[in-house]
Amino acid sequence: MTDNIVDKVAVQTEDSRNQGRRAFLKGSAAVAGGVMFTSAANAAGGAGFDPKKAVAPYAGKAEITDVLQDGAARKSLGFGVRKYPYGMPSPFEKEVQRRTLEWLTPDSMASITMSPIHQLNGIITPNGLHFERYHGGVPTINPDDHRLVIHGLVERPLIFTMDDLKRFPSISRIHFIECPANGALEWKGVQLNSVQWTHGMMSCVEYTGVRLSDLLKEAGIKPEGKWIIPEGADASGMSRSVPVELAMDDCFVAYAQNGEALRREQGYPIRLVVPGCEANMWVKYLRRIMVHDVPIQHREETSKYTELMPDGTAQRFSWYMEANSVITYPSPDFKMQGPGKYYIRGLAWSGRGKVANVDISIDGGKNWKEAHFTSVVLDKAWTRFEMEWEWDGSEAFLMSRVTDETGYVQPPMPQMRNLEGTNNVYHRTAMVTWRVHGWDQGKNGGMIENVQY
Amino acid sequence: MFNTKQTLVAASVAILFSGSALAMSGNSDSKAGDKIDGKYAANYAEIIKKADGKYLDKAVIEAILGSDETHGRNGLVGKLDPANPYSFEVDDSIDGGNHGNAQCKIPAAFTEVHESAAKHYHDDSSFVANGFGTPIAEAALSKWNITVDGDGKGLPSADVGMTIEEGGKVYVQFCGMCHGDFGEGAKGYLALAVDQNLVTSSFTDPAPMKAVGNYWPYATTIFDYIRRTMPFWTPNASFIGDAGYLGMTGYILQSNYIKIDDEGNELDDETFFNSEMLMKMNKYMPNQGNFFCDHRPVIHNERCMTNCPDAQVGGNGKGDATDYREARKLPDGTPQYNVPQRMHEDPPGVGHSGM
Repeated sequence: MTDNIVDKVAVQTEDSRNQGRRAFLKGSAAVAGGVMFTSAANAAGGAGFDPKKAVAPYAGKAEITDVLQDGAARKSLGFGVRKYPYGMPSPFEKEVQRRTLEWLTPDSMASITMSPIHQLNGIITPNGLHFERYHGGVPTINPDDHRLVIHGLVERPLIFTMDDLKRFPSISRIHFIECPANGALEWKGVQLNSVQWTHGMMSCVEYTGVRLSDLLKEAGIKPEGKWIIPEGADASGMSRSVPVELAMDDCFVAYAQNGEALRREQGYPIRLVVPGCEANMWVKYLRRIMVHDVPIQHREETSKYTELMPDGTAQRFSWYMEANSVITYPSPDFKMQGPGKYYIRGLAWSGRGKVANVDISIDGGKNWKEAHFTSVVLDKAWTRFEMEWEWDGSEAFLMSRVTDETGYVQPPMPQMRNLEGTNNVYHRTAMVTWRVHGWDQGKNGGMIENVQY
Repeated sequence: MFNTKQTLVAASVAILFSGSALAMSGNSDSKAGDKIDGKYAANYAEIIKKADGKYLDKAVIEAILGSDETHGRNGLVGKLDPANPYSFEVDDSIDGGNHGNAQCKIPAAFTEVHESAAKHYHDDSSFVANGFGTPIAEAALSKWNITVDGDGKGLPSADVGMTIEEGGKVYVQFCGMCHGDFGEGAKGYLALAVDQNLVTSSFTDPAPMKAVGNYWPYATTIFDYIRRTMPFWTPNASFIGDAGYLGMTGYILQSNYIKIDDEGNELDDETFFNSEMLMKMNKYMPNQGNFFCDHRPVIHNERCMTNCPDAQVGGNGKGDATDYREARKLPDGTPQYNVPQRMHEDPPGVGHSGM
């Protein structure tokens, strides 16, 4: 399944079906031979486009009469080519940054930054805004000196240079990458009012690299080799244990991210990609893969990245990230601009495959309406959803709920809390709720607040 | 092998569930109604396939597990039962400790993973290497290969080590400034030895500190981890060496009052701490039996669209959407991270504790 990317824009709702049909009609009318469709459209007769009715919502709004002046951009030359051999965002976008909470960690070398999810569009995270998580700071590795070794329970231990790796057949895949602690701050209740803080420990990019199964087969895994132990070349020497069945499924060793080399923050020159699984397994600065008979029981799969339950037991090896979703607009970073029409939009994803449906509630979960997708629907990747909403100005409780292709329905927070307590730290993947304050003649400032049930 | 009835059962389940798609198709030949371990339908793979791979569906799970309270779907929701087809354990550990539930595998229910692995690997008899790499001898990796697994493979030989007293001196010199001279933690870095109960399910309780004695399931992990990553500013230091890292490991284990034998004896300052002592103590880690394999999802909701039951609506299950919690605020109006010990002392951006 994971080998066949199906570029399917899922048409889910009556609305989106009609939208698709309208686009089809429009396109067909533009080409010769579209007669049938053109006449069909005409057959609607009197129900055609009524310009007067169409602009009715503008009735009564004051008209601007001051003559518009030209700005400096129109009256002078801009800068020339090669001023920025590597292009940078407009200075007006300087607030769009990954950010951290300084009080989370005692130093910046073993810390995390969150992506500004609420300021992103589409399903691709720009490389400079990809979230960061280090356990021992970021090394600057010369790719000419970097090596990848595959050894252990193999027929022929091998060492590869970067050039060697790039000779192998390449694959490119779009996948989300999510720290299992994404949303961890919300286990004990609401902490912070921004999607960046509640869901920013994740990103979604296009990776290019070499299939891990190709590399492992190159060295010849012995039958007793049941696990692989990938390890990083950085100060943390990050290691995890990955079952060989998973390694042989859809994992790969990536050297590129969004068309260019990996950034140092994301593992330059190479990292492991374990689609759908917690990001801690995606070992960066990968330099060694040991094929082994048992898991290593590394600190990051025993002391950390295990989930403490209310009865004192702990769940371990929770590799897959569950289906999850969040409304990015309107969200606490924005303000409502008065009653009227809004397009609720957001992100949904699942570590176990494709997103199947996203539903949106505006009444705290009592009633739901299906949203439609505005992006391609890919395996283990972000999926964009959108739904029209006519806000009457009263208090509303916005929630999104994803169903993935396995049939798993995202649970509400009380249900997850009752089951897993509040000291779990990881995999807090239940729904969140945005409270839209009543408009009340603008007295509440259009505030949108993160609340929790 | 540490054979209890439980581990024998676990091993038999593991055999039936282990391995490739081939092994699984063997299972699916069993006639319907056969049960594995008296609990699960033996033809579970077939059931999942018939349901289009929707192994998380309520109907599929009930077909496999039944719906009784002990082992069925209903039982799963109420009780975190590690014994179900979505998680299972394989062999017991070699040290005789209670590590039997620690070698989790891909849930067998992930049939597509197995199919894909079969296609890429097990069934690829035509594969011939590209020859792009260069052969390397294992001996050439002696400096890189620093992995120690839970069975103790990779530990230094038994003549390497030092007394606990010497280990304590090394620890105080290189570790104490961040983790406290007795492992109590410092400067916001993690404590290594605390005596705390992990069961604090009250909503407002502070999160329990997870340290070596009350949480870590393996003693081998301490040696592997500190030799790999510590001291933080100059990891894997040759001036500490295997003997020094073993000494630190011993001191940390002593600080956590880990037993060395069934009689409950603990490490003396004069004890020579080496890999043999480490492996002896590996089976006395107090919390080792409390880990279970990932068996999510245990939540199986319907996709309700209108007038959903109160349990699925806001307001803590009472259906009242206006019954919610808000973020607590610091006096300056900024949101408050919900760790009580930070509440009155450390506004964001100033001090550190926890995490």
